[in-house]
Amino acid sequence: MRFYFLIFRVLGTTVRFSAKSCRVAVAAALLICGGISVLYAEPITREHLTVELVAQHTALVPGTRAWVGVRLDHEAHWHTYWTNPGDSGLPTKLAWRLPDGFIADAIAWPAPARMIVGDLHNFGFDGEMLLPVSVQVPSTVRPGERVRLEVDVNWLVCKEECIPGRATLLLDLPVIDQAAADHEASDTRWQTLFAHALATEPVVADWQAVAAARGNEIEIRIDGTDLPDTDHLDAFVVQPQLLGNASLRIARRTDAILIQAQRSEYFVRAPQQFDLVLVAHSGDTVNAWTTKVTWREDAVPSASNDANAVADSAQAANTTATGSIGSGSLGAALLLAFFGGVLLNLMPCVFPVLSLKALNIADSAHAPAVARREGLAYLAGCVVGFVALASVLLALRGAGQSLGWGFQLQSPLVVAALAYLMIGLGLSLSGVYVFGARLGGVGQSLTEGHGLRSAFFTGLLACVVASPCTAPFMGPALGFALTQPVFGALAVFVALGIGLALPIVILGWIPALGRRLPKPGAWMERLKQVLAWPMYLTAVWLLWVLMRQVGADPTALVLVGIVAFIAALVWYGRWQPYDAQWPQRLAIALLFLISLAPMLPLASPYANSAAHADAAEQTLWQPWSVTRLAEARASGQSVFVNMTAAWCITCLANERVALSSNDFIAKLGTDNVLYLKGDWTTQDSEISAYLAEFGRSGVPLYLVYPRNGGAPEVLPQILTPGLVIAALSRATTGSITPVDSRSSP
Amino acid sequence: VKFVTSLLAAAMTMTIAPAVMAKAVVGQPAPAFSLTDSNGKARTLEEFKGKTVVLEWTNAGCPFVKKHYTGNMQAQQKSATADGVVWLSINSGAAGKEGHVDGAGANAVIKSSGAAQSAYLLDASGEVGKQYGAKTTPHMYVIDAAGTLRYMGAIDSIQSADPADIPKATQYVSQALAELKSGKSVSVSTSQPYGCSVKYGS
Repeated sequence: MRFYFLIFRVLGTTVRFSAKSCRVAVAAALLICGGISVLYAEPITREHLTVELVAQHTALVPGTRAWVGVRLDHEAHWHTYWTNPGDSGLPTKLAWRLPDGFIADAIAWPAPARMIVGDLHNFGFDGEMLLPVSVQVPSTVRPGERVRLEVDVNWLVCKEECIPGRATLLLDLPVIDQAAADHEASDTRWQTLFAHALATEPVVADWQAVAAARGNEIEIRIDGTDLPDTDHLDAFVVQPQLLGNASLRIARRTDAILIQAQRSEYFVRAPQQFDLVLVAHSGDTVNAWTTKVTWREDAVPSASNDANAVADSAQAANTTATGSIGSGSLGAALLLAFFGGVLLNLMPCVFPVLSLKALNIADSAHAPAVARREGLAYLAGCVVGFVALASVLLALRGAGQSLGWGFQLQSPLVVAALAYLMIGLGLSLSGVYVFGARLGGVGQSLTEGHGLRSAFFTGLLACVVASPCTAPFMGPALGFALTQPVFGALAVFVALGIGLALPIVILGWIPALGRRLPKPGAWMERLKQVLAWPMYLTAVWLLWVLMRQVGADPTALVLVGIVAFIAALVWYGRWQPYDAQWPQRLAIALLFLISLAPMLPLASPYANSAAHADAAEQTLWQPWSVTRLAEARASGQSVFVNMTAAWCITCLANERVALSSNDFIAKLGTDNVLYLKGDWTTQDSEISAYLAEFGRSGVPLYLVYPRNGGAPEVLPQILTPGLVIAALSRATTGSITPVDSRSSP
Repeated sequence: VKFVTSLLAAAMTMTIAPAVMAKAVVGQPAPAFSLTDSNGKARTLEEFKGKTVVLEWTNAGCPFVKKHYTGNMQAQQKSATADGVVWLSINSGAAGKEGHVDGAGANAVIKSSGAAQSAYLLDASGEVGKQYGAKTTPHMYVIDAAGTLRYMGAIDSIQSADPADIPKATQYVSQALAELKSGKSVSVSTSQPYGCSVKYGS
């Protein structure tokens, strides 16, 4: 049955009929009986909006649920609001008047869209859409009856200006029995509308989500399987006065999604639980999920998840040190950092310094108290060094810079200074001079002799020289550290320092162990001379990094400076045994000053410019950029992303071993894989942001994006040719992490 | 070592550097401002120190403002100003947008609505509105005699455009003013504002 068009105004005095037929009288009678101001059985067009009550099926069946809904057809550029309207606006409200036994559920809100005007964010709907409502039809109604559903609709429709509106809508439906219903087709007029509305209604996801406040921010962590890709993902909170309405920062972890948002300016108190809606747009398809989020006053939401990520990467990297850490949170990261610190002792740049210190401590094994104190001073040096570096890093990040671990090596000045330091230490080991008093004011002898100060500075030095050699699985631990509040982050770095100091501290505290070491003697001089060579090689590596950073010319100047530096040290060493006269001292001092001069231009911000790759390699890969990656993905091409830096040893090793093999190169060609390489040798905030998306604060990072879209696969930090080629094959066949596909409820 | 120390020092200085722009936060000093009123006179928040001040973001074209100007807003303005409270209506609508007025336009609005605010301030640049984080019309703020922000949010507790809801709602501004007057703390100091968006220029 259809009613004909009717507008009836009780408040005014006019009754306008535009009906073409005679059934108006029936409607008018219904109207008056109901005593309702306005009734519409057909779509009614108000200012900028047409509303209508519709049903999915043309009849109702006793004892079943039926989908009905309010159809809203917005004029172009006008919108109405979601249950949480955002910065302004009002949600559309429905008040039902139903026959006895009928029960209407709340609106099954479809996924909202974000509408931005200036700084204001609103959540709502435009175009033609439906607000579906599930209605329980009681079993008491009899087939053959007619049932009238009535609803008062109250809305606010806005473009920039807003107009409130209201209408009472009516729908008359026959009741039929189940058997007849089997032949009853759905109402074809609204089929698409219902299908679309119900398909975009958020599905209840089986995820665990927690939220906690961190200063003025609220952080939400979602753990679970089948988490959506964070590309084109938006999040909305049903409850107002909780999160700020501006766009949220959403990052994907291995098994979790992290969301950070400003706290609402109107935040009063935290609820025990709230509802979060995630909406993913891919082309015209909209997928949405909803999950309950539990508020945890004490929680550090990123902790357990990131520790898992850390553990995952550790396992993936085939490191033997830790195995499975389980679900421990900060503890796991601390443990990883600690073992990472222990491993640092074996790095080529650290080992020489430490081995000598070890022998010195062993030498004082006859005075256990002294040895113990020195061990502790050394520990203090290591920890202070790492904490100082971490503080600088955190402070710079706090000041808005996108930096990650290894940031210190992004400064050409620091790289050059480390090269000087390595040369200086090497020459000392070679016996050219005795690293001694009154030189540079750093302290007494650093690598030799006793004294707490010396031990402390050895610790500091160990930390400085160790910092370039990030052990393979420290990347995730440090990445985790940087997502922590300050104290958590510092704790991770303290653990790293303790790990680094551990061998020496043990030597100091267990004299029996010290006594097992060979007694110092003439062989020590020979050992020192051997150990000098790794230092020189480290210097060569640093100079190569420098060359990548600033180009050949400034590096040549630094090399000249280093020659002057060597000359100064040789001269100084020659005169050291004698009491040098002031002209000689002056000459040496001048020579030192001259040797340091080439570092001056490096301090200027314009130094980081000339890093360019050689042309031969350029054909294999293209420079990474957000746009290049997006283009390739849009075209459906599979992509291999390599995030690297010249100072990252792991990265270089991987490139030599796995990413230069003929098989790899051939695979790129046959599978038509785009190889994008991001160079993080110097600071690049775009890359830093990209790394952060994957929970990393440093390189390497290897990703394989499958053909025809989908989430990327994160490869381990240590690559083998087989592993990379297998990953590329998966990308081509499309068997990587299937994107969650869902059906309408 | 020296390098690290100096870097650290530099970093510390950067983090300690004060926030440039004060925002409106309940319990904190309300951001200072200077605006021209509908009669062309420069008005500042500073000049009302020692008095309780109500800020009301307004836009006569907005249905939510119209809802409260059916009598509620005027009554609150009258009772507040009679009590020695300064009531400042602020229009942050940009030129060309709904509700934007010049001085004469504002005076016409005041006259036709029978409004009783102390002054109608023009903020077409939206600077003060954005500084306060005003998002809707109406959007209300109450500042105590010491210049501390004591309330921000909606005019009342029922989010609707229907004047029939006014008698049923808790009037948050009146409540805050009464509590301040009797020396009590403001029981509802923050609420979710509702209404039309403030029509800021770009």
